[in-house]
Amino acid sequence: MELTPKVEFLGLTFDLTVMISSLLTALLVFCFAYFAARGSSRVPHRMQALLEMLLDLMRGITKMGFEDRRFADKSLVFTLTLFLYILFANQIGVMLMVSSSEPVPSLGLTENLMQEANAHGVSWLKSPTADINVPIAIAIAIALFGHILGMAYNTKAYFKGFLNPLHIIEDITRPMTHAIRLWANIFAGEIFINLLLSGGLSLGLFKGGIALGIPLIIWLGFSLFVGAVQAYVFVLLANVYTGQKLYSVH
Amino acid sequence: MDMGILAVGIMLACAAIGGAVGNAILFSKYIEGITRQPEAQPTLFGQTLLLFAIVELMPIAALGISLYLLFVRGV
Repeated sequence: MELTPKVEFLGLTFDLTVMISSLLTALLVFCFAYFAARGSSRVPHRMQALLEMLLDLMRGITKMGFEDRRFADKSLVFTLTLFLYILFANQIGVMLMVSSSEPVPSLGLTENLMQEANAHGVSWLKSPTADINVPIAIAIAIALFGHILGMAYNTKAYFKGFLNPLHIIEDITRPMTHAIRLWANIFAGEIFINLLLSGGLSLGLFKGGIALGIPLIIWLGFSLFVGAVQAYVFVLLANVYTGQKLYSVH
Repeated sequence: MDMGILAVGIMLACAAIGGAVGNAILFSKYIEGITRQPEAQPTLFGQTLLLFAIVELMPIAALGISLYLLFVRGV
């Protein structure tokens, strides 16, 4: 497991790795959406066709969550943005991992920190969703949004729903499992990648390359697939949970 | 005997067994559905992948927590 550089500010600890990779993810999502929607025509070029396919997928997701077409149309852009953000965030840990092995005192990488770190050094770039705080923040925000929407649009059914104790338990476990599903998949995948890499380093170039290189390639391919599926499931469940707060008649 | 390593080993074993049995039931139902109606294969495939992610929640959560204990907390 790699150490990450942390910065203290006003008593709070900020993890530089998560901040840098979150900004990079946001930049990538913006660049993808900008260049895909630019110069749109009736006969679509390649990236525009990709964006249109993604929009069709999102339309299916929102239709599964909300029965009312009004809410489904309003939720479409949010669903697309969240899906693209989580998709790119999951794949950053598979494709780009940057770490430094030399101490740089001005950035907080002192000698003590370097001696604690293992063979890989201190990592600067990993998946933002591999840190426990990011999926928890998104899941809590979506749960709060569902509550506020239910309170605004369907007040009587929303307050009557609290009489059922199962609903109260669901209100606690649903955001928790929502966040843990995304986090645990990406975190376990990254740990396994680090394990295979450091095991290959310690075994030497030839033996490590043959013995651990092929499982590493297979695991990287599987991680791409898992990242895409987890993004899809996260966004689908976000819509379903929010929709159920609106139509809580059971 | 180090109790921490033993605990992580038991967690990983149970996660592996649970994941294997749950996924086996899910995918066997998928193949049975294709046998009954081969035209439904694309529809069933999408739904199966979705339900795979939901079934895999608890084994992956056990895997995540056990790896966290092993590597980050140094148990």
